[in-house]
Amino acid sequence: MEKRQFRDYTISLYHQGFLDDQFTELKKLQDECSPDFVAEVVSLFFEDCEKLISNMARALDQTGNVDYKLVGSSVHQLKGSSSSVGAKRVKGLCVTLKECCDSQNYEGCVRCLQQVDIEYKSLKGKLQDLFNLEQQIVQAGGRIPQVDI
Amino acid sequence: MYYFFCGLEEKRLADAILHQTMELVKNEDGRTEKFPVGMRVLAVDDNPTCLRKLEELLLRCKYHVTKTMESSKALEMLREKSNMFDLVISDVEMPDTDGFKLLEIGLEMDLPVIMLSAHSDHDSVMKGIIHGACDYLVKPVGLKELQNIWHHVVKKNIKSYAKNIGPSRQLLPSSESNLGPSGSKKRKEKVSDSGDEDDSDREDEDGDGNEQDGEESSARKKPRVVWSQELHQKFVNAVQQLGLDKAVPKKILDLMNIENLTRENVASHLQKYRLFLKKIDEGQQQNMNPDAFGSRDSSYFQMAQLDGLRDYTDTRQLPSSLLTRSHLTKLHPSMYSSINLHGINTSSFIQQNSSNSANPFGTYHSTTLSPRVQNMNLFQRTSSPLEPLQFPRSNGSAYMGDFKSIGDRPIGGSFLDSCISFGSSSNSLPSASSNTLLLQPNYTQPLHRASDGNQLCIEGTSSISASPNIGVQGLSRFPSHSWQGNLNNTTRFPSNSLPLNHTFLPDQVTCGGNNNLGDCSSLVSGDNSGGEMQCEPQLLGDFMQNMSSLDGQKWEEQNSNMLIPFGNVEYPLQGDDMVFRDNNATGSKGLEESLTSPIDATSATFNSQEYVGKSTMLDDPEMKPGRPENALVDNQHDVFDDIMNEMMKQDENNGMVSVGVATRFGFDSFPPP
Repeated sequence: MEKRQFRDYTISLYHQGFLDDQFTELKKLQDECSPDFVAEVVSLFFEDCEKLISNMARALDQTGNVDYKLVGSSVHQLKGSSSSVGAKRVKGLCVTLKECCDSQNYEGCVRCLQQVDIEYKSLKGKLQDLFNLEQQIVQAGGRIPQVDI
Repeated sequence: MYYFFCGLEEKRLADAILHQTMELVKNEDGRTEKFPVGMRVLAVDDNPTCLRKLEELLLRCKYHVTKTMESSKALEMLREKSNMFDLVISDVEMPDTDGFKLLEIGLEMDLPVIMLSAHSDHDSVMKGIIHGACDYLVKPVGLKELQNIWHHVVKKNIKSYAKNIGPSRQLLPSSESNLGPSGSKKRKEKVSDSGDEDDSDREDEDGDGNEQDGEESSARKKPRVVWSQELHQKFVNAVQQLGLDKAVPKKILDLMNIENLTRENVASHLQKYRLFLKKIDEGQQQNMNPDAFGSRDSSYFQMAQLDGLRDYTDTRQLPSSLLTRSHLTKLHPSMYSSINLHGINTSSFIQQNSSNSANPFGTYHSTTLSPRVQNMNLFQRTSSPLEPLQFPRSNGSAYMGDFKSIGDRPIGGSFLDSCISFGSSSNSLPSASSNTLLLQPNYTQPLHRASDGNQLCIEGTSSISASPNIGVQGLSRFPSHSWQGNLNNTTRFPSNSLPLNHTFLPDQVTCGGNNNLGDCSSLVSGDNSGGEMQCEPQLLGDFMQNMSSLDGQKWEEQNSNMLIPFGNVEYPLQGDDMVFRDNNATGSKGLEESLTSPIDATSATFNSQEYVGKSTMLDDPEMKPGRPENALVDNQHDVFDDIMNEMMKQDENNGMVSVGVATRFGFDSFPPP
């Protein structure tokens, strides 16, 4: 039962654009030698999100004196992380944010950043659910099904 | 750097190097696996997520991975143990660190560096490749891309191995054998993957050893440190302070305290410097014949070394001969002759010269010289690749004639200049300190001076500057033929400007006949009768080959660059006995003035004050005979007439025959004396 759930949930995440093939690549890298690899990398990613978003928020807070360069480099970093873990939506938003930043569109930046924040947290929740499902399967003695997207 | 394996021997060598590359590595299970398993990669990315993923990808490829988020740490690791890694892969858009810097260092150390970037636009990629990255990967990177990166390591090894093939061929790639000169051992270590037995070797090596790899094969263009006069001076001071034996790059670097100078830069410079000094020493020993004849080369070397290396004399242990200026004084007339190439027995020179103190150079005496002149392979073997003569600029006193003034001028520049990246502007050369006397293609003024009764010695080749040995190393960066191009002031040397014509006439003094100039003839287009001098392409190729053997690819690149401006004239003509000497102070002044015109990096200006002719092309195997004068001949025919007349007068005085000279200049219109 959990396996089914797991499979369906995984598929839906892909279909809804939360994840892309890079996430699949991540999963491929996980094996007996590095059993928690995906969890590890994803955690790193969420930490990145937190740090970078907070940097950007701080920068944007300096109304009238926004350091767009900082915002730009932060969003660049975030874009890199999100793309490497397959966080598709987050990455998409980073692209938009970057554009706003380049054109120094303050309002745009602020709005975009808020969305990024929402999105990463949402993804975080979903992946957490997925990991929980995995755990249940493993604890039940089963193997995690290979999901082909 | 082009290399090709042809012939069975080369094939075997190639196999050998590949074999080494494919060194076996023990994996965790104790089984041995072949390269690229265990290839040591240094991964740098300031993004932790990306870095972790990259690490895992590399581990999946069975590479050995060291990762860091800070490029400063990466640089540290690279510097500490240059052989710790086989390959570097690095993000280049790290806000706090400079990925390109890392790239530079990696290149200096002859490590393949792969760039990672989120940008895939053409310009970014171009920038990366131009900076010398051996590959450029766009993030996010996939497993497949990383599975092939080991190719770069093999490629590099093949290159460096092939480069070493020329100088010394070794068929057995034992762990201790050298693949080639110097850096071969290091290279071997670099090639071997995680050969534990090599670790201790690696750790023992330091300084130059490490750097040889870095500087040996760099086929790619990369930004180089320009060793300006000041910079070199600092370097020299540091070396002296430490003592040559104890001078290691790290310490030198610390003493120099120059921003943006890396240990690798210093190390490679130090290596060149050491070779330079060694060559000088060799030159000294080689030429230390007590008799007048024997003083030929030594005096030059001594002079050059003393003058040029004045800086060094203080603290450095020079051969005693070098330190005795009095010795120089005594020999000074022969200094000019010292510049003569080996083939030329300059004894006659000396004799003549000594008989005419006012004319230290003495002209060259065809009759006396010819019998001695056996081998006109002047430019070929011994000297280093043709280089622009770098002479200390004299204040208007004849270069040779007044070695005192010369002595005041460190020739250090010659070494320095030769080390200056070819791409560097010529600013560092002539206009710079009076340290370097550059061959100046402009002969007009000296020629005028000639009428003062002095003989103008124009050594077209970089003979002057190059005590052969000095030239070999110190000046090896300069194209040996560069001076040729210089004949036309700073303009390119038009191929037509060098009428070969009588260059190799049989009656020519030094050559002792055209026949002796076996090489010359090969250099010149077969028809010497007034045809333009053209260096045959293969000679150029040879030159290039030789250059590379001298100091790796760098030279080669440099030289190929240097060749460009000279149009068809590739090599200096066999300036066998084209010796113009202008010992007159005023004359030299004029010349000097002409010398101050800007010179491009490839040109060598010479203070025609005193050059001994061809013999300067002494130990330069690459130096092909050249005749810069010919260019002048064309343009300054009248002036030459004056000179010739004057010289002939002198010749009469000295009993020398100047007809050869005249003819050598391509003036067949001159009546024999």
